[in-house]
Amino acid sequence: MSFRKRNIGLSTGPGQGPAANSPAQAPQAAAVADSSPGIRPSPDDGRATTSTGTLSLDNLLAGHGGLPIGKMLFIEENGTTDFAGALLRYYAAEGVVQDQKVHVIGVPEQWGRSLPGLIGSAEAGDEKPDRRKSERMKIAWRYERLGEFGAGVAGSRAPVAFEQNQSTDANQVKPAFCHSFDLTKRLTHPSIAKMNFIPFAPTREPFFASIYKRLQSAIASSPPNTVHRIVIPSLLSPTMYPPEVSQPDNVLPFLHSLRALLNTPNARITAIITVPLSLFPRESGLVRWMELIGDGVIELCPFPHSADALATSGAATSGEEPPQGMLKTHRLPVLHERGGGSDQNIGQDWAFNLSRRKFEIKPFSLPPEEGDKEAQGGAAAGGMPKKEDLEF
Amino acid sequence: MPTQPPLPPLLTPYVSFLPQSSLTLLSSVLGATGNWLVLRYLYAALSASTNTTFGADGLDNGKKRKVVLVSFLRSWDFWRSEAKRLGLDLAQLSDKGQFAFVDGLSELFYTPQAQTAAPVAPSAPAPFAPAGRPIPPRTALPVRGPPGASAPAPTPAVPGGCLNRAATEAGPGPAKRLHLIGQGTAALDALEKDISDVVSQLKATGAGNDGEEAEVLLIVDQPDLLLAATGPSKGIGATEMGEWVMGLQQHSHATIVAVSADSPLIHNASEFAHHPATPLEKEHAAFAVGLAHRAQMVMQLRNLETGAARDVSGVLRASKGGAWSDDGSTDAETKWEEKEVLYFIQRDGSVNVFGRGE
Repeated sequence: MSFRKRNIGLSTGPGQGPAANSPAQAPQAAAVADSSPGIRPSPDDGRATTSTGTLSLDNLLAGHGGLPIGKMLFIEENGTTDFAGALLRYYAAEGVVQDQKVHVIGVPEQWGRSLPGLIGSAEAGDEKPDRRKSERMKIAWRYERLGEFGAGVAGSRAPVAFEQNQSTDANQVKPAFCHSFDLTKRLTHPSIAKMNFIPFAPTREPFFASIYKRLQSAIASSPPNTVHRIVIPSLLSPTMYPPEVSQPDNVLPFLHSLRALLNTPNARITAIITVPLSLFPRESGLVRWMELIGDGVIELCPFPHSADALATSGAATSGEEPPQGMLKTHRLPVLHERGGGSDQNIGQDWAFNLSRRKFEIKPFSLPPEEGDKEAQGGAAAGGMPKKEDLEF
Repeated sequence: MPTQPPLPPLLTPYVSFLPQSSLTLLSSVLGATGNWLVLRYLYAALSASTNTTFGADGLDNGKKRKVVLVSFLRSWDFWRSEAKRLGLDLAQLSDKGQFAFVDGLSELFYTPQAQTAAPVAPSAPAPFAPAGRPIPPRTALPVRGPPGASAPAPTPAVPGGCLNRAATEAGPGPAKRLHLIGQGTAALDALEKDISDVVSQLKATGAGNDGEEAEVLLIVDQPDLLLAATGPSKGIGATEMGEWVMGLQQHSHATIVAVSADSPLIHNASEFAHHPATPLEKEHAAFAVGLAHRAQMVMQLRNLETGAARDVSGVLRASKGGAWSDDGSTDAETKWEEKEVLYFIQRDGSVNVFGRGE
């Protein structure tokens, strides 16, 4: 791959080949990052990616360290909780902070005022390095960089790419790619007023056609280099959408056109859509078709409330928060479009945890059974005579 | 795991032998997409190095095979960049008149507003045009002809400024863009005509040296989207779609159709399902199963039943379709047998195909 042309632009990004970290590409990568904040080349193949506003979700996306430009991600949620809504708020807030154009479909402007407050850069504000430092003695040094999921792709590989351009402009501060937010605070940022809300208004046109038209004209009227984010909360939820639009012949053409819009050459758009699975189960043909049109599908399965006690004892170590639910990846952007497989995160069970300051996704593991000593002892005590009974 | 050539040997008999007027069905699921296999078909037909294998019919050695790819879910950019990973330059091939791409993604349902303002079509039909509206003569949009060596292809008569628009906004790639306008079979007929125009144009380019038309392989990627996004309420059902595919088959030497076969789309319609099936599920199942009955070969991709694995992307099963007939040929090259293998897509896009336990 070293024979590639050196002057190929990186903006649209597909198919840059696996050698994206080669020195030939690093200056271009820096150029992309400079021209629009919040965009960086994927460590996997060099395509442009942008952050979802959640560090661990970025790391989950098949080694790209972010959501690749032009991709549509579905976040589906079971039950009545709103974890997906939190992810969506992070995504929108990240867009606001990065001066990207955020289009929100179907909710009033109050939604924009409830975006979580900015704490700082997620990579810098992460408390993980500290904890790792304290545990340093326990881990053999050569395994130190392995294993910790949060320090996966973005933590270990991206700095390598950045080191190369730091040598050229050493005094420039690396702009943050992903920020962390505080759910209890409110975001105040000058560009929050620039968010574009597309509420539902009765029109004579078909429902989705008018939304699409407004979305498209908003994107077409913005300067050419703008990075757009499309946010669609609770697609098809009957509290917001009229019932007839959940017919496949309404919603599927809309999603298909949205996909076309995202795939427009030179456009820089990403989208995250949440779907309430309790109303539209994954076993239905309609939802499956929505997923097939999307690029990535992630399902959140929060633990039922009664499981809280169990989950509390289920913390892997005392320092960690108990998981609040399971997360399943059904399809990942780019990876599955190519055929799937070969991702280190594939086949893992994921658990998620939403705290005040972050949404964390980590490998799920059943903890050692704590507090069950009496039962074990009792069983042993009860087991002994039984064993004698069994002897002839 | 050793790397295999772009076309793994285990796969070669399945992708390079396509009998005359045959239909091959490619079914995929959410987590095991079939794009890589479509690319292997492209490679087998277009790659110069496989000249020896694709003359598998025995007759057409030296005859160029051409490919028309109709894609309803993926953009030209995707196909071009993925084919490049295989060493196949689709842009160059389309310049040479060996390949044509038909874009069923960009403007299928909602035509962009810029077009509404075009002088030719002041009353451009709104999406979801009401029934009974006449189909405007939009189907005559020309394919951007290959600018290269061959003489410009004969384009059908073009009304007014449509030519300009197509020429300016075609952008990168030779894409003709499909528009679904109107309802029912009329809309499908218009699409069929668009595609067949491209096919006949591709046949015409470069012909004349030996007076013989090249064989055109037609690959239709996910036409089931059309069915899902319209449905019987728009006058398009499984029967109409089946006939549409049959109409397309008439224009090409061999046809490959890729559809989704996720379990909700196939099994919900069965009698033993727990809930009543929605029209979408019923029609999709009827369409996919109907195609399988008419196909010579069914290539089925699915996830590993035992859960995801790091070194297996999925399972590929090649089986005889309903139209399979043993024509008694004993040619070893054309022989293939039903088989189930595992495959693994590597990061660089190459694929390993291997049997279970190998």
